[in-house]
Amino acid sequence: MEGKVMPILELKNVSKIYNGSTKALSNVSFKVEEGEFISIIGPSGAGKSTLLRCINRLIDVSEGNVVFDGEDITSIKGRKLRQIRTKTGMIFQHYNLVDRLSVVENILHGTLGRKSTFRGMIGSYTEDEKKYAFEIIDDLGLSDQAYKRCDELSGGQKQRAGIARVIMQSPKLILCDEPIASLDPKASKVIMDHLLDINRNKNITCIVNLHQVDVAVKYSSRIIGVLSGEIVFDGPPSELTQEMIHRIYRSDSSDLITDVSGGLYEQ
Amino acid sequence: MDTGSEAAVSEMLRSPMFEHRRNGKIRIKSHDKSNTAIKLLVVCLAVITVYAFATFDYKDIDIAEAVSITLHNIKVVFLEPKLNYDTFSGIMYQLLITFCLGVISTLFGAVLAFFCALLCAKNISSSFMANTIKSIVAVVRAVPTVLWVMIFAAAAGLGSVAAVIGLTFHSFAYLTKMYAEAIEEIDDGTIEALKASGASFWQIVCQAIIPASISSMVAWTFMRFEINFTNAVAMGAAAGAGGIGFNLYMAGSFYFDLNELGMITYVIVIAVILLECVSTKFKAKVK
Repeated sequence: MEGKVMPILELKNVSKIYNGSTKALSNVSFKVEEGEFISIIGPSGAGKSTLLRCINRLIDVSEGNVVFDGEDITSIKGRKLRQIRTKTGMIFQHYNLVDRLSVVENILHGTLGRKSTFRGMIGSYTEDEKKYAFEIIDDLGLSDQAYKRCDELSGGQKQRAGIARVIMQSPKLILCDEPIASLDPKASKVIMDHLLDINRNKNITCIVNLHQVDVAVKYSSRIIGVLSGEIVFDGPPSELTQEMIHRIYRSDSSDLITDVSGGLYEQ
Repeated sequence: MDTGSEAAVSEMLRSPMFEHRRNGKIRIKSHDKSNTAIKLLVVCLAVITVYAFATFDYKDIDIAEAVSITLHNIKVVFLEPKLNYDTFSGIMYQLLITFCLGVISTLFGAVLAFFCALLCAKNISSSFMANTIKSIVAVVRAVPTVLWVMIFAAAAGLGSVAAVIGLTFHSFAYLTKMYAEAIEEIDDGTIEALKASGASFWQIVCQAIIPASISSMVAWTFMRFEINFTNAVAMGAAAGAGGIGFNLYMAGSFYFDLNELGMITYVIVIAVILLECVSTKFKAKVK
């Protein structure tokens, strides 16, 4: 990185305690530069989802500060919070589209945060917004599905619609909560390629929760390993050693499925 | 005791798989408390029934004659329906009034219930608020519709106003519960997704909650409308709310005209069946 770039996101000693006792995050600190593609890996229940939701304040942090785009957003509320959220898009494992609405309508939901409450309520979108939505649909190869209801789509198509909704929002940062955990390998590749494309060509920072270490190594510019609510690894994929992976997943040296090179029957 | 029976006793002690009833036979029923309770209940009911029939004041009723007259009445009501006091168009007009009573009370109830349901659906409201409103609504629902009409009649006087307010009140409580359940069934993720994109509460309501729950809300509203329609018939008779219920009451209790009673009954039955058909069609359409 040339010169002094201001980080787009900074977490300072963030902790999250549920119900006064369960510690989901403890003392998490890291900075994110604009344009980075970060994967967060770690076992289920390590606090990855909590971490993402602390960034866009779907979950309130218990201690520490979250600074986004030069602004401390740890305890902002109401209209201000909604404004910040328009700059942070989110993609979910279960897509979270409104099943009974068409694909286009779902994608146009990306503009709600910028609209007046009333226009958003009655679903009134400008012709320009509609045109842009159809451009995105075309880019993501959903043209044939544009007017279909979302419950008619396959998993991969739903996730592409989810990505389209986020692009429509034109955020500065995209948070992806296990975007490929429910998809087959082919659809997973399509989704990851789209995310990488958005990251490179639109220069939107991406933070992705992943279960697949190989995918994280292949796509990201930086990997953060989380274990029991603490960051145990933070660095480029090249520094992520086998031992580190085993430490993150707290496993012995031979029982991770990612280790299996060649099928079990070939051994 | 000889050795043979001693052997039999020890044999029994060795094999505790089965138990004996008090009369020495092998027991096959379980030691269930509810079994005993049901037996007790049946015995009590049998005793009460026998006692009641034995001690009724039968006056001078001739059972055979009574049965034949009743059968004759049923025949007149159902096989010889005919209007003697009202015209057919008059009856239709009264039916329309009853229909309107049902529509108005359902409509008012549905609008109030929708806003209240937003406050008491657990996934979009605080649990304190949700529990408070749900308990209030449960109390309102526990009181029968007729009683609410009578309560409001104290203020508004017996008539259509009290009937509409009473019906509305009960519909509101009923629909609040049903709407809230419909909203609670929505995938939380959908709401989360819109929240994450910066949408405001009312935008989420209109763009996610309504589209996702509209079909079950419509279904429940129709269901309630059918209930309100039949209740409106009853209120016409019981609370002087007007409509076809009042004609039914007059025909049965004032004119003692069984032909007219039969005709009005048929009109109501046909109206209810038509409503049911329309609502089924409509529900299928909004799926």
